[in-house]
This record gives sequence, C-alpha cells and structure tokens, in this order.
Amino acid sequence: MNDNLIVVILLLAISILAFIFYPEKGLLNKWRRIKANNEKILLEDALKHLFECEYNSTDCTLISISGFLSTSQGHSSKIIVKLEEMGLVKRIGTKIHLTPEGKSYALKIIRIHRLWEKHLADNTSIREEEWHILAELEEHKLTDDEVNRLAAKLGNPLKDPHGDPIPTENVEIPEQKGIELTDLKEGDIAKIYHIEDQPLEVFSKLTSLGLSPGMIIRLIEKNTTNIRIECEGEELNISPILSFNIQVVPIGDSEELIESRDTLSNIPVGEEAVIVGLSKSLRGQQRRRLLDFGIVPGTVIKARLKSLSGDPTAYEVRGTTVALRKNQSDKIFIKRKNLL
Amino acid sequence: MKIETIHDNSIIATANKLRWEVGDYFHDSLIESIYKEAEVISNKVVTTEGKKSQFDFDKFIDQIVTNKWTGFPIMFLLLASVFWITIIGANYPSGLIASVLVDTIHPFLKNLASSINIPWYINGVLIDGGYLAMAWVVSVMLPPMAIFFPMFTLLEDFGYLPRVAFNMDNIYRRVGAHGKQALTMTMGFGCNAAGVIAARIIDSPRERLIAIITNNFSLCNGRWPTQILIATIFIGNLVPPIYGGIASAAAVVSVALLGIFFSLVVSWSLSKTVLKGEASAFSLELPPYRPPRILQTLYTSLIDRTLFVLWRAIVFAIPAGIVIWLVANVNIQGISLAEYFIRFVDPFALFIGLNGVIILAYVIAIPANEIVIPTVLMLTVLVTGVTGVGSGSGVMFELNNIDDVSMLLKAGGWTTLTGINLMLFSLLHNPCSTTIFTIYKETKSWKWTLLATLLPIMMGITICLLVAQLWRIFT
Amino acid sequence: MNSFDNEKCANCPAHNLTNLVKLGIDMSNFDFVVALAGNPNTGKSTVFNSLTGLRQHTGNWPGKTVGRAEGGFIYSNKRFKIVDLPGTYSLLSTSTDEEIARDFILFGQPDVTVIVIDATRLERNLNLALQVLEITDRAVLCLNLIDEAKRHKIKIDDRNLSKVLGIPVIPTAARQGVGIQELLKSIYDVASGSYICKPYRISSDIKGVNKAVEEINRMLKQKFPNLPNTRWIALRLLEGDQRIIDAVRSGEIAELIH
Repeated sequence: MNDNLIVVILLLAISILAFIFYPEKGLLNKWRRIKANNEKILLEDALKHLFECEYNSTDCTLISISGFLSTSQGHSSKIIVKLEEMGLVKRIGTKIHLTPEGKSYALKIIRIHRLWEKHLADNTSIREEEWHILAELEEHKLTDDEVNRLAAKLGNPLKDPHGDPIPTENVEIPEQKGIELTDLKEGDIAKIYHIEDQPLEVFSKLTSLGLSPGMIIRLIEKNTTNIRIECEGEELNISPILSFNIQVVPIGDSEELIESRDTLSNIPVGEEAVIVGLSKSLRGQQRRRLLDFGIVPGTVIKARLKSLSGDPTAYEVRGTTVALRKNQSDKIFIKRKNLL
Repeated sequence: MKIETIHDNSIIATANKLRWEVGDYFHDSLIESIYKEAEVISNKVVTTEGKKSQFDFDKFIDQIVTNKWTGFPIMFLLLASVFWITIIGANYPSGLIASVLVDTIHPFLKNLASSINIPWYINGVLIDGGYLAMAWVVSVMLPPMAIFFPMFTLLEDFGYLPRVAFNMDNIYRRVGAHGKQALTMTMGFGCNAAGVIAARIIDSPRERLIAIITNNFSLCNGRWPTQILIATIFIGNLVPPIYGGIASAAAVVSVALLGIFFSLVVSWSLSKTVLKGEASAFSLELPPYRPPRILQTLYTSLIDRTLFVLWRAIVFAIPAGIVIWLVANVNIQGISLAEYFIRFVDPFALFIGLNGVIILAYVIAIPANEIVIPTVLMLTVLVTGVTGVGSGSGVMFELNNIDDVSMLLKAGGWTTLTGINLMLFSLLHNPCSTTIFTIYKETKSWKWTLLATLLPIMMGITICLLVAQLWRIFT
Repeated sequence: MNSFDNEKCANCPAHNLTNLVKLGIDMSNFDFVVALAGNPNTGKSTVFNSLTGLRQHTGNWPGKTVGRAEGGFIYSNKRFKIVDLPGTYSLLSTSTDEEIARDFILFGQPDVTVIVIDATRLERNLNLALQVLEITDRAVLCLNLIDEAKRHKIKIDDRNLSKVLGIPVIPTAARQGVGIQELLKSIYDVASGSYICKPYRISSDIKGVNKAVEEINRMLKQKFPNLPNTRWIALRLLEGDQRIIDAVRSGEIAELIH
C-alpha cells in the first residue's frame, strides 16, 4: 500500500515537472515566450512612438517614451539601449532619432495598425471606440504575408477610418503638408497637425483652450483682429498672434462639406428628393451596396411605403424598390424636390 | 502572341503615387458617372406610353400587406393556412405511403428473405434496420414537404415573402439579424435543412450565419408529431376530457413559440458575442409582384427542395436504422447494448427529468427526428419487457391507438415531467444529421457547424434540468 | 495561351483556354463558351434553363444561384458551353460573387457574354451591363421580361439601344420562351465572329481623377499597345484592385488580347 502511494506521488511529481519544463509546450517556455512577446511589444511600441514624434515634428525624450509605454524611465532607457544595439535608433544628446531601418520597422507596425482599423470599420460591427485597442493588439501579431493579403482584400486602402494615411507595402507614407491656420478660408475644415511649443507662453495658452494635434476644426470667421473657429462643438476665439503657432491640414472630402443636413429618413411617404451625398460613416460593403443600388448623388429617390412597424422604409430609386433601415437613411443626405 | 513577362513596375508605381492624390472616395464618383451614362442611354431608348397605368397594382397590394392593421393578420393567416394545409393534407398520403412501404413491402421482404434462407441477422440488419428506417423517413417526410415547399415557393414567386421580411425586419434588426431570417425560420418549420439552405437569400455574412445557427429553434416537420403525441398523452390528460384537445394544442403551440423566442434571444447574443467581428450589411430589395407559375413551381420545388432534402435524409437514415437494430440485438452476456447504455445514462437522464430511453433514442435517431418516437417505443418495449406490442426487438413501430402508447410509456416509468421535458428536449437538441451536414456544406466551417450543433443541446439539458428542479420543488 | 491568337480568324473561338481550365471549366467537348451575367432577380436562371433545357429553380431574391451552374447546347452544329455566373449588381465591389463573375469574364474571356437585364428597370440594370462592356468585346444583351415591360406600358427601342451599346440586343420573355431562338442566333453570330461588336465604353469625366487616369492610361498604352480598354485598367489600378495590379505586374494582362 505504502509502495503504491510512493509510486503515485512520484508519477505525479514527474508529470508536474514535465508540465512545467517540457520543451516547447511546457509552462516555463510559455511564460518565457509571453515575456519575450511583451518585450517585443514594448520595443515596437517605442518605435511607433518615436515615429509619431518625428512625423508630427515634435521631439521625443526618454520621459515621453516611458509615459507612452507606461513603464519606469529605467526600463525605457533599457529599451532604448536595446533598440540602439539593433540599429533601429540613434541618440544625439538627449534627443532620440529613428535610423532609416527603425523608421521602416515603425511604419510596418503602423501599417498593420491602420489596416486593421480599416478592416474593423469596413467589415465588422465592432464599435468605433474599440477599433484602436483591438488594432493595438493585432499590430504585433500579423506576418508580412497576412498583412498584404488583408490590404488586398480591403482594396489597398489609402487611409484609415480616422483619415490617417496607411503606409504602403514598400513602407512609404506621404509627407504631411501643413499650412498655417490663417491660410484657411472661412468655412474650411481642417485637422490640427502641429502646435509649435515655442514660445512657451503661446503654447500653454493654446493648450489651455483645449486644442491639440489631431482635432478637426472649422474656420467660422476671420478678420485682422480675431479668428473664430469651431472645434469639437465649441466655438473658440484665437488672436492672430496665437494662430501662427497652429499648423493644419485641410480636409477636402469631409462630409461636413455636404451643405444639406436634411436626411432621407426625414421625408414622408410619397415625397421625392434628390440625393446629395452619403455620410462617411457608411463604410465598406454597406456603402458599396447602396452605391450599387444607384443611391448616388444626383439620384431622385421617393419614399414609397413604411413597413408595418415603421422601420425599414421602402424607397423607389431608379425603377426599383429598395428597403432601407432608418440607421441607413439617416446617413443619406438629400435636398427636397420642392426646394430646388 | 506571347509578350514576355514585364518586370518593369513603373506603371504600378505611378498608379500608387497617383492614388494618394486621387483619394479614397473615388469609387463613389466612378459609380456616379456610370449611373449618369446609364441614365442618358435609358432616356434615349425608353418611352413610357401615356401615363403610367391608371391603377398601380403593386402599390395597392403593398399598402394592404404593410398596413398597420391588415398587414399582420394577412401574414398570420397566410402562413397559418400553409401549415394547416400541410398538416391536414399530409395525413392521407403519409398513411398511404406507410401502408405500402411499412405494412405491405416490409412483410413481403421478410417473407422473401426467410423463403430463401437468409440468416436472421442479415435479414434483421438490412430489412428491419436499414429498410424500415428508410421507409419510415420517406413516409413521414415526403408528403408534408411535397405540400409545404410548393406552397411556400408560390408565395415566394408571387413576391409576397420579401414583404414579410420587410415587415419583420424591425424585430430582427433589434437582435442583430436580418428581416429575411423570418423567412428562413418559417422554412425551418417545414425542414431545418431546407431552412439552412434558404439562408442563402441573406447576403450579409454575419446575418446569414445567425440565421443558419438559429434555424434549429424552428420546430421542424419531423418534430411536430412527437409534440402532438406527447402533448395529447401527458398534457391533454391533465384537464377534463372536453378540454383535452385544446390543452394539448396550446401546449404544442407554446413550445413552437418558445422556439421562436429562443431563436431571437440566441440571435441577439450571437450578434453581440462570437459574431461581432463578422461583416454585416443590410440590403433588401422588394421585387415587383409577378403572377406565380403554378406548374413550374410544383416541378422545381419538388426537385430542388423536397427530393434534395429527402435524399440527404435517406442517406443518413439507412445506416442509422442498421445501428438501431444492432444496439437492440447485439447482446453481451444476455443484455443488449441498448440496455447497457440506458442503464448507464439513466441516473443522469432521470436527474434532468428525462430517461435513458429518450437519450438513447435521440442519439441513434440522429438522422431524422421522424424516427424518434418509433425508436422510443421499440426501446421501451425492450427495457420493460412488455409483451404483445411491437414486432420484435430492434424493429421500430408505431401504435395507432394512442391509449396503447400511453399505457406503454407509463409502464416505462414516464411521468408528466417526462412528457413536458421530452417536448422541451425535442425543441432543444442537436439538429438532425441531415441539417448538421447541410450547415457544414453551407458554411464550410467546422467551427460554426459545431456551435450550431452543441448550442441547442446544451440549452436543452439546462432547461430540462431547471424544469425538473422546479417540478420537484412544487410537487 | 490560346493558339488561335496568332492569326485573326473570324470563325475561331476567342476564349482563353488556359485560364478557363484554371477556373475549372472543362472545354474538351465544346467549341465555344458562353457566360451568363446579370443582376439578381432578372430571370437569369430562366434564360439559362431555356437555353439548356435544364431546370434550375428561379428565385425572387439574390443569392439563389450559389456556386456556378454549367450547361450546354448545340446550335448550328457548334457545341456551346454555358456558364451561369452569380447574379450581381456590379463588378467593382469586393464581394466574392462579384469577383467570380469579373474574373470569369475578364480572364476566362468567354466567346460571348450574355447580359440578362430586366426590361422594366433598364437604367438600374445598365449599371452592370456597362461594367461588363468595359471588360469584354463580345457580348449580347438579353432584354428579358419584355412582357412585363409591355404590361407596365414601357417601350424600349431595342434597335437604338443596340446601336448605342454596339452589341446585339434581343428582347425576350424567357418564361414564355419568347425570343430564345433569336438569342441563340445572336450568340452564334457573335461567337463565330460574323457579328463584330463595338462595345460602348464609359467616357464621361470622373470628378477629380481625369488627370491621373490619363497619365496611367498613356503608360499602359505604351506598354501594352494592343490592350483594348486601357482606361478601365487604369481606373482599376487607381482603385487598388489587387487582381489587376498582379496581372499588370506579371504581364498577364497582355495575354488578354485577341
């Protein structure tokens, strides 16, 4: 009896040890791989951050990197040293720069990130808030081959759903061409791409207004003493002196440019309207299907009948009857016939 | 004229450079310009004589079938009468086919086999097993499908069914599905395999998968007889005899409605969880009404739907019949395999308010729900040792007298709880093998096939367990 | 590569045998291959059935014909293989169905593509028809459901339409078998080369891209002087269509000339 017990215990011990130390599939190895993966993620994230800094013409420091990676400065400097050993970054004084190899590595990561966001936006019903987080995970996983196939499937898109350019297969990305805020015309829509941090007083004044790169603004009015802009639902007044510190990129094809705010969902049954545009939030397959139905700018469309419960509504367009849900017709901009 | 492969990629490079200038939304402009030219051409060659006909027939029908007050009753009446005609109309031909295949040809084959001295086990495996299962499936499946599918197809041909999808879309949108799922679900009431194939009409991948996976919650044609029989025996008997019919009918309808409820709940949770990442795009065209072509519809729906599904069912039924015969007749130390299995699962089965016979019947009658009850009866005889009913061990049978069935089942230890739980389990269990196979064919994915198979049976076991526990608390 | 390409021969089949084999089409017993394209719900399957005698269920909704139906018929002692392509609204989007249809017409180079359209909804159906004409030189327009159009008092000047599109236009009512003989004759005429199509090509300006299209178009014309519709290829390249990019890169696109 006792002997049997010992045998059982021995067997158990061996299997536990095997479970931990078994090559490839063992626990220890798994843990090592997870750690290595984490290390890889940190390295790649650091590269990405450095690239963003250079693209937006700001300076990257150890402090900003450790902030971005949420690690200690000690750990960050280890990461930088590692990257330097790999020949991906170069340090000049306190400033850290990407080498050409580092730049193309970073662009590869950004390419995956933005393609994945595009994929989520076009092909899934995952909500906008989750795109970035999911892409952050995916960008460290996909192989070159998988990425290229994904790009082909998406029709080799140029921009991600946020309007940021997607680096190409040969890791090229167009240079940002910014203009000064004062160069915009009234009514123009643009994205803030850079806020100059010198002189400091001007910079802090601008940040206290809540402005930061990436925000979309619309110029409402400008004269010699004041520039009025709309930014995220707020109207701000900026004196011309401050405005020289803001560089923007005009956005040509924004849906905000569609004059009409009247949507297809507003027209009653029996009434006709002319389509003036489709919202940019109609994406991917959904957008293409509507276009195929002939729902393009200039098309006359007539509300034909509502379903039993009120949503969807059937519309007559180019001789056919097509049912659209309210969440689709809300995104189709029209002009009423009687107003033409 | 073979041109040498060109390695110069300057064209691609230029195109890629220019793409950045052109921007992402030029697809819109392209379609816009194609349509503009289409409009010009169309205006050149199309003339509409006089005013568009005085009376817009399509519009007239559309206004009636989508009206708040008339729309729903019309839909309900039409679909209900389709089912009613199917159930009533299938009775006679079913009996006829059964009398030929089961009552005439089966004994004839048996006699033939014994006259030429075929060993009893071969005779049992092939004639009592394989042949009888096939005969059963054909006689129970063919008539209802041959009636249901043509009627359904006529409604489809006429153009009414897209209007049903249009009317029902609001509900299905809320659960993340497509209005056309109302149609695949209705089709599922005829046959789940056909319902799964019908999901092709949904061209958005996510909604199509939802429709496929939830189709099994439609109580199919093969399960109605089980429901009706069990409800008559166990529910109808709870009330005074005059209300018996109503009570059992109400019980069957409740189970069917419960199935619709589950299909919506499962649709909703699938769209929120595992299918969140699948592509989704709503489109629904309402075609003009067209006079249906009766003869062609009869022909095509018979070929495309009825015989197609029937063939798949037969292919699965024959081996199952053989297995059924074998488990009842292969004995180890004087006890059949079936009894071993039943004894083994009985504690668990009784715990969830069913019994071992039911579990075994559902395992071996996986090819078609139609043969569940005959298998249950055969196994009950085998286990209880009741004499005087049935036609020998491993031979499926049905009893014409419902009191005999009731007596036999009660001898097998069935209670009202067993009855209720069997009705629930008949709704919530894995799809039949024909449907499973069809799901795989349609999705080309083991993952979704497995999900569609395991999800309902998990739900079935859980629900039966819950009901059994509640039953034990309150009685 | 097709051995008939060497000399211009009016009676020779034009299909691309190598690509057809790649697409899974067995051409061993056939002289010509015919593709059937069209919007969903235009009676495309009925036309297919009338031509082949097969019976395929015709549904009222898109997606009914899943997979590819194939059949055959003999006309004037020539054996025709007919392939029913999935019903699509367009050939430009990225759905699998549209890719199958597009690749078949472009790379398989059927001897004739029959475009089935609903006569009651000409404008909407022309969207697809014009896209098909962009990628093939040999097509026949089957103006189906002409009986229904008549009922709705819609009159279509099919001769004029044929002149505009540069291909035969045959009004049919496939359900009643009306016009099928004429359709067969047109298919034969185009396949055998006795009718030379001059397909209509989209030419109108596309907002803001003309310069880019012209630039690529020029380069394509230089590199592939015999390519019939370089403008369309240029448009596809600008849209980032991977299949076309690959075909231009490998030079495969040059083989699509006859």
